Amino acid sequence: MKNKLLFLTGIVVIILCASARQRPLQRFELKGFAQGTTYSIIYYAADSLVSIAQTDSLLKRFDRSVSLYDPNSLISQFNRSAKGIQIDEPFRVLVTRAIQISKATGGLVDPTVKPLVDAWGFGVVKPTRYPNKNEIKTLLKNIGIDKIYLKGRYLHKKSAAVQLDLNGIAQGYSVDLLALLLERNHISNYLIELGGELRIKGRKPNNEPFKVGIEGISGNDLNPEPMRKVIEPGDGAITTSGNYRKHHKAGGKQVSHLMNPLTGFPMQNEMISVTVYARDAITADGFDNGFMVMGLKRTLAFLAKRKDMGAYIVYRKADGLVADTVTSGFKNKN
Amino acid sequence: MERRTFLKNSGLVAGGLVLSNNLIAANLVPNPIKIAVIGCGDRGTGIMHILNGLPDMFRITAICDVLDFRLAAAQKLSKNGVLKAYADYRKLLDDKDVDAVIVAVPLNLHYPIATDVIKSGRHLYLEKTMTYNIEQALDLVKLMDGRSKQVLQVGHQYRYSPLYYRVKEMVNKGFLGKVTQVDCRWDRNGDWRRPVPNASLERAINWRMYKEYSGGLMAELLSHQIDFINWIFDTHPQEFFATGGIDVFKDGRETYDNVQVMMRYPDLGLIGNFGAMCGNAHDGYLFKIKGTLGTVSLLTDQGMFFPEKKLLKEKGTIDGVTGATRIMWNKEGGTPILPEPTKDGTWYAFKDFYAKVQAKELPDSNVFTGARTAISVHLANQSLYERKISTWDKSYML
Repeated sequence: MKNKLLFLTGIVVIILCASARQRPLQRFELKGFAQGTTYSIIYYAADSLVSIAQTDSLLKRFDRSVSLYDPNSLISQFNRSAKGIQIDEPFRVLVTRAIQISKATGGLVDPTVKPLVDAWGFGVVKPTRYPNKNEIKTLLKNIGIDKIYLKGRYLHKKSAAVQLDLNGIAQGYSVDLLALLLERNHISNYLIELGGELRIKGRKPNNEPFKVGIEGISGNDLNPEPMRKVIEPGDGAITTSGNYRKHHKAGGKQVSHLMNPLTGFPMQNEMISVTVYARDAITADGFDNGFMVMGLKRTLAFLAKRKDMGAYIVYRKADGLVADTVTSGFKNKN
Repeated sequence: MERRTFLKNSGLVAGGLVLSNNLIAANLVPNPIKIAVIGCGDRGTGIMHILNGLPDMFRITAICDVLDFRLAAAQKLSKNGVLKAYADYRKLLDDKDVDAVIVAVPLNLHYPIATDVIKSGRHLYLEKTMTYNIEQALDLVKLMDGRSKQVLQVGHQYRYSPLYYRVKEMVNKGFLGKVTQVDCRWDRNGDWRRPVPNASLERAINWRMYKEYSGGLMAELLSHQIDFINWIFDTHPQEFFATGGIDVFKDGRETYDNVQVMMRYPDLGLIGNFGAMCGNAHDGYLFKIKGTLGTVSLLTDQGMFFPEKKLLKEKGTIDGVTGATRIMWNKEGGTPILPEPTKDGTWYAFKDFYAKVQAKELPDSNVFTGARTAISVHLANQSLYERKISTWDKSYML
């Protein structure tokens, strides 16, 4: 009798396990608002494993660390401080990575660029006019990664005027943090998108790859162009930096929101947009603005031999026509 | 005035010396336009507030109203000491210290006062609706003929708002596809009356309640939206089907407090639905333009664009989109047309009035468009009060 029961129980357990393994994957979609934009997460799992409440709360916590729009965030506190402050783990990761990328790009991206961003009218508070050469010279004195340093959890600044802007890299990292949340919940097929920055893993149930559209460059939100290109990036991250949407017009010239931290002036070159592939979004997002400032030739040289990172570049040729090109690290994405 | 003429003449000479026009323009700081306000009610004083914010462009020099307490209240808004105050607008028109005149009086007085202002040679900012009836509208058009240096701007201020301008552009460029319906409302839950200090002033203050003075809700409120549709499509309705009544406030008023009109624009294949009432405030101001590709939904200072759902689905073959500072859709699938709310339309309208007076050019909201809208309003009211279908007469050549 006892044996029989055990036997039956065993059968039931086996059946349950088998059915669990075979339960078809369902599509789950989370849509929300964060960082002044929208985000969406698509994942495939047997059951709902992550909720919008979890992702919202993760992103709110993240804002309290590094959002310039929150006057009480750690980054706002750092910017107001005289000598620096104690920071948290996400902030530390971001600053560390931003410093590495700044070095790798010869200073063409720089976390201390905030005074320039503000002066050129792309910060939270808008000035009434553009800065002159002398004002820029003064601002440049407090710009550069040598103006900050980390000791444990304490982020020091060498002068009170040093201010951080991590907007060029933070969005990417928040996408990585969302990916980490999914993976901790054993989700291995997902696409996360926040403000046009993506992180992808796995495939759709019928073994179909995730497809990503690269937006057209008209910059016309109300009558968008068809996708410029559709790619299948595989596992990793895709981010885009572009000039076609966020800029001012002054004296018939476009003033880009992307600063060259070395000259103090907004970038001005042939680049229209760069879509970067990398293993994680903090890397892709960290480099994409740098490639914009580098320009076509230097970006192609920088990425020529790299397999772990690649770019799809849209640029304006000398004759005014729009052209595009890919680096070797991006070639297998089509 | 003298200073400007002087600079202009010296500009001609300097032009011969190959001085760039820009340089001259930079040196030429014209004096503010000396402007008078006839009619110091809510609208007249509201405009005075706006003008006070544009001191480089306008200096209020005189005011006029038939009611003493209104003059006294307007006087308090002066930024330039005591203003010359008139009870009779004809005396104001004798005042040499007036270059331009704002007329913000009851609708029945628009025509006689505007006529005298135009004949006096002044530039005129005439509140909407341009005239009380069709004949007067056509007469003003005739009167302005040959007066190309004199500016007459009609107070349909929404034409000047960057938001409404952007919407016109969106429609004209085809972002909305083929537009076949327009829905407009301007509702309130209240009697639309102003307080009367003394019963003998009832008709003078609450003139909007009486047919003798006013075209009611159609003329005072819906005319803005009617004008905007005329402007976007450069057309006017052909047929008017209206109904209404005094349904909420049976308080002795004559103009209806509940009105609805359908207008047909056959050249466009477009139906316009315009309604206003005093018995529900939920919709308040509503303005929707509906096309095969999307809908524009407008408030006075902000607007949203909603692409048709089937178009969003066409993007559905991909799982995600990457792009720079991507477009943001709200929960209802809409996106703001402009990033921030605009200022009051009147502010933009007066900035342009200033520019047009300087350049002596025809304003966007001019005597022709003003007449087109006044006639549209009048035909709508004709249908409403005479219970018939009204049609645009070919003889209204504009």
